[in-house]
Amino acid sequence: MKRILLFFVLGVSLYAGVSIGDQAKDFNLKTLDAKKSLSLKSFKGEVVLLNLWASWCKGCKKEMPEFVALQNSYKKGFKLITVNVDDDPKKAQKFLASVEKKTGQKIPFITLQNPSKSVAKDYQCAAMPSSYLIDKEGKIRNIIVGSLNEDEIEQLKTEINQLK
Amino acid sequence: MKTTLFLTLIVLLNGCSDKLTRVMPYEKEHFADPKMSLSPLAERAEHEGHIFLIREASAGGDSAYQGGCGCR
Repeated sequence: MKRILLFFVLGVSLYAGVSIGDQAKDFNLKTLDAKKSLSLKSFKGEVVLLNLWASWCKGCKKEMPEFVALQNSYKKGFKLITVNVDDDPKKAQKFLASVEKKTGQKIPFITLQNPSKSVAKDYQCAAMPSSYLIDKEGKIRNIIVGSLNEDEIEQLKTEINQLK
Repeated sequence: MKTTLFLTLIVLLNGCSDKLTRVMPYEKEHFADPKMSLSPLAERAEHEGHIFLIREASAGGDSAYQGGCGCR
């Protein structure tokens, strides 16, 4: 019986993922320009949308201009934190420069670099891009797998307003 | 002795688990490179990619977009 239990525990530990209601795992990462480090904990008290993206991901390209508009529509109480998983952060900088050119606006959200992909591993990222809506207490309230379109962003705004 | 053997067996079996052997979505940077496409012609690549997916029953196929689950 003990052996079966041990086997079960080890098996579950391999597949245990994050789910809605879980406490969001904290991380400390450098910003894209490597000038400072930020942790998720430092945004406690604010609603956070944690987005995992990469410059090679087509869905990320699609949703990034929407994210510029999303962050610009909130002055207070909401922070969009994007975590880039590119091996080379320079690719992410180039990507964001192209988004700035396309939208004609400066990137208003925080971008952190994570070449080791530790955040994607911790959050059991099932697809690229993935987003996690985190409430003021640091609990995961929604997990969005795949890119967000305009309508989904509007729906997300309702959720953000409820959590604010 | 038996316990050690059992634990080794568990570790070895878990090593074969899908999570450890599958290329995770965030690890597909090199697969997403245009030079990894099956054909330089976009229309043809799509067709060949479809055939490849069916033939190989591969997870995620040749694309780095989304998860390959077909749900989005």
